[in-house]
Amino acid sequence: MSKKNTFARRTPTDIGLNIWGVLVFAYLFIPIAVIIAYSFNTGKVLANFRGFGFDAYISGVNNDIIVSSIVTSLQAAVGAALVSTLFGTLGGVALARAPKGAWWALGLTAILGLTLVTPEIVDGISFLPWFVTVGVDWGITPLNNGLVRLIIAHSMFSMAIVTFIVRARLAGIDSQLEDAAADLGATPWNRFKDITLPIAAPGILAGALMSFTVSLDNTILSSFVQQPGYTPWPVYIFSAVRVALRPEVAAMSTVMFLLTLLALAIVGFVLRKAGGSSTEIIKTMAG
Amino acid sequence: MSTQTTPQKTENSKPQRTRKSSKPVKPGGMSARFFGASAMSFPTWAYALFFFVIPVALVIFYSFGYKPDEFTAVATDHLSFDRYPEAMSASFVSTFFATLRISIVGTILCLIIALPFSYWLAIKVSPARRSLALALVMVPFWTNFLVRTLGWQIMLSPDGFLSKWMQGLGLLDGPLDILYTRSAVQIGVVYNYLPLMILPLFVAIDASGQKLREASYDLGAGKVTTFLRVTLPMAMPGVVSGCLLVFIPLNGDYVTATVLGGASGSMVGQLIANQFNTAQNWAVGAAMAVILILATLVVVGIGFGLLKLGQMIAAKLNSVPLTDGRA
Repeated sequence: MSKKNTFARRTPTDIGLNIWGVLVFAYLFIPIAVIIAYSFNTGKVLANFRGFGFDAYISGVNNDIIVSSIVTSLQAAVGAALVSTLFGTLGGVALARAPKGAWWALGLTAILGLTLVTPEIVDGISFLPWFVTVGVDWGITPLNNGLVRLIIAHSMFSMAIVTFIVRARLAGIDSQLEDAAADLGATPWNRFKDITLPIAAPGILAGALMSFTVSLDNTILSSFVQQPGYTPWPVYIFSAVRVALRPEVAAMSTVMFLLTLLALAIVGFVLRKAGGSSTEIIKTMAG
Repeated sequence: MSTQTTPQKTENSKPQRTRKSSKPVKPGGMSARFFGASAMSFPTWAYALFFFVIPVALVIFYSFGYKPDEFTAVATDHLSFDRYPEAMSASFVSTFFATLRISIVGTILCLIIALPFSYWLAIKVSPARRSLALALVMVPFWTNFLVRTLGWQIMLSPDGFLSKWMQGLGLLDGPLDILYTRSAVQIGVVYNYLPLMILPLFVAIDASGQKLREASYDLGAGKVTTFLRVTLPMAMPGVVSGCLLVFIPLNGDYVTATVLGGASGSMVGQLIANQFNTAQNWAVGAAMAVILILATLVVVGIGFGLLKLGQMIAAKLNSVPLTDGRA
């Protein structure tokens, strides 16, 4: 209505804002476009464009080290998404339903808040000796597995995100629904399963998605907890940066970029079907 | 997960206990209804304690230890504060302030770029197109952080296409000389953290609501007044969370700096990592980490102080008291 009117009446400010918007989008997308363009580089060095071709894609797929690092990354990301979603959902529901001023709720909020504001490097150096202590000295051997270490470290990082998203999602909803279910004789488990969980579902999905990408992106923390044979993709790239970057890196990144877009489109579609505008979906994601 | 099974067992046994003990908390409230919300939080608590609180506490503890010999990373049989002065070497201090400058300038630049953009996105873009625009903002966010930085490395390199174009257009005399400088790091850092500023700002401005703005117009306020006294105050929580989301991770980041800054782009995070990986001196590395955390907290504290001061001044200047959107 009146929004349309303001849009139609273009003042200099509006034009300025439009230009600014386009410029920011350009700024956001140019580096990605550059990577995609350079993935077709047939030369030996990434930054030096020799000619157009798919060589990098072919040699990338055939490079065992690259493929195994991508597989490790994907496994860690799926694992971290599952673990942090499970713990984060429990935490988020608990926090949303906590009586005011409960010490455990305040404490948990504070600790999770701290995990969010702790620089990644500090988490990295904390995990390094801790995994050695617990895994080697105490003999809890599963913790010596590189993949388990990655999943645990990444989950710690994203558990707080899931918790806060789920809490925010539930905070907006009247808990009388659950009270009503209880009055009608629903067991606690049924109340959780039939009422709380469906309400929280979009938040849980958004949180899982966030954990997945945060894990896929993670470089610093991973470089500290990685074990031989379990080098995740970003750590592989980071070590390649210091030596020499080949076009394979860009090619495989382009493939992963397209896969991520596809996954996002599917999730967006599911969320949309479940109701709720995309603006709201992104709002849940942003916490 | 091995840790997962134990907490869940406890979860089943705990509700009864909680119900009994929650007597003093609001009689008849939902707390009694809610089957052990506290028990439900237990797995999350356990995870956070075991994989965050204890390890970080251990690192803080290490910072009081020392490196006994070449082959041992840390010893804590006698404790002292000696590692702190040792950590604050001249090179550390200069890197430290350079890092702080990059982070603060980066946060401010992100805010300057993101504020008009988020305003445009939340208010000027038609609702039909807004979803698409938002999705587009998210795309770089979902692309690998390191890969995006590599995109900048290619672009800024002296023999890259941008350099050639600019020389061709006569904008530059020689090759583009920006890669491996602090400016390159600054560009990359702003780029990498910009979506983290845009999203909370967008959410906050969007929440300020068309209705409130219309009311402001109806009451005779102009565009500028409406922006300053309705939209901006309502957006303040977004500004705060955006700045936190950008500043804190940025302060510990060294990946962007390594890719774009090379040798001249070393950040505190890199120095800490070196102590743990190369020098194998955990005590000094831990001390550096503690200094980094404290500095981050101090800067955030100063930021909040300035914000409160600004709000007080704004409240004094306005005859009608403003809420900060949270009240």
